[in-house]
Amino acid sequence: MQQLLLQMLDGTVTSLKVFVLTLIFSLPLGFIVAKGRMSRNFLLRGIVNLYIQIMRGTPLILQLIFVYFAPYYVIGFSYDRFTAVIVAFVLNYSAYFAEIYRSGLQSIEKGQYEACKVLGFSKTHTFFFIILPQVVKRILPSLGNEVVTLVKDTALAQTIGVSELFRVAQNAASRMFSTMPIFVAGVFYFIMNYIVSKMFDFFEKKLSYYR
Amino acid sequence: MEELMVKAEGISKSFGSLEVLHDISFSLTKGNVLSIIGPSGSGKSTLLRIITQLEKADGGTLEIKGCRLFENGVYAKAEEQKRIGRLTGLVFQSFNLFPHFSVLRNITEAQRAVLKRSKAEAEEKAYSLLKRMSLQDKAKSYPCELSGGQMQRVSIARALALDPEILFFDEPTSALDPELTRDILNVIRSLAEEKMTMVVVTHEMNFAKGISDHAIFMEGGYIVEEGDPVSLFEHPQNKRTKEFVKSFDD
Ligand SMILES: Nc1ncnc2c1ncn2[C@@H]1O[C@H](COP(=O)(O)OP(=O)(O)OP(=O)(O)O)[C@@H](O)[C@H]1O
Ligand SMILES: [Mg+2]
Repeated sequence: MQQLLLQMLDGTVTSLKVFVLTLIFSLPLGFIVAKGRMSRNFLLRGIVNLYIQIMRGTPLILQLIFVYFAPYYVIGFSYDRFTAVIVAFVLNYSAYFAEIYRSGLQSIEKGQYEACKVLGFSKTHTFFFIILPQVVKRILPSLGNEVVTLVKDTALAQTIGVSELFRVAQNAASRMFSTMPIFVAGVFYFIMNYIVSKMFDFFEKKLSYYR
Repeated sequence: MEELMVKAEGISKSFGSLEVLHDISFSLTKGNVLSIIGPSGSGKSTLLRIITQLEKADGGTLEIKGCRLFENGVYAKAEEQKRIGRLTGLVFQSFNLFPHFSVLRNITEAQRAVLKRSKAEAEEKAYSLLKRMSLQDKAKSYPCELSGGQMQRVSIARALALDPEILFFDEPTSALDPELTRDILNVIRSLAEEKMTMVVVTHEMNFAKGISDHAIFMEGGYIVEEGDPVSLFEHPQNKRTKEFVKSFDD
């Protein structure tokens, strides 16, 4: 039993690594994608739009397989499975985050920008001190949803052979002829997401001082 | 000698194929108040937005306090535009306060970020303006906790904090209940008494008559009639002005 828990903790660490690395890269990248999606340049906008449509329109599991195997079949380049997982997750999640950022940015009234312009704020000051804080408040709930989904999606990393929490649990289950490890894994995911939601609740409360 | 604060000559503006301003010329001297009236869509806001640089003119010439913002539709250098922008302030119909900042910070933010005033200096200025707006006790409140009239007074304080030479008001009371309207009109009136140079777009005829030195009636992007406010409002010459002024008599 202790042995099993240790193995599962190991898998959990891998899951958490996927989770954290995906967030670190896709949260800022999503912003750049959002900017491209809102660009005046129709070619750039078109390309970014297509990218987002593909990421949202095809299963993540398929994207994982594609990202890992395509370079090998096309140019004979093979690479580390874990890296492939991160690349696929970052590509996918950047697209989702981009759409969230875009809806947030577009929900800010034009009057806020106009007030900034009339008061003489620089573009950077306007963005970082006036627009961004309001965007963050507005997108926090949808961002929370997406991050919870990411915790669960990390289970897909096993598709290309990365032994994260769920894979470890499944292996243990077939060794032990018992579904108990899978149930334990469920509890692990639940705890992780409980913490994630609590954190988002905390930030939402912190920003609830204004409407 | 009277100093010219705004000198507009032949300003024109189109949105696509829609011409919203044709050959607009007028001037405003220091310490005077100009009111602009006219039906919806006549181009009043667009004119104010061009002068406060929220919109670009297509043609004409505009000088603010002797500094040329554009000449025959060609704009001055970005730096000069910015410098001229500091001479003007704009109060919006919909306030456009920053909802995530306290009332105090709404008033200090630009003083600090743009004019580089110290925190103490900016706050002192903010408190004195809040006092004048009878909002001393609201410094720590957030815009969502204020009434419309209070929000508009904060937005006036926010504009005044930067010491503009000319203050523009675009229908400052149109979003307010009649009781709250009076508060705002009183604030503007007291600014007029202190010889603040102002341009006010308003539908409050009696108020405009009382405070302004000059009035303009616009329609369809043209200045149809102008003159001293009492004669413009009481004895309009133009047929359209007559009809417009009459529609407010009830
Ligand atoms: N950004 C824009 N794009 C296209 N058309 C515009 C834009 N802004 C204003 N217009 C048009 O320009 C004309 C003048 O608008 P403006 O807002 O200046 O009128 P106004 O006199 O302020 O009216 P109101 O009393 O309703 O505020 C209107 O026909 C309006 O539809
Ligand atoms: Mg208007």
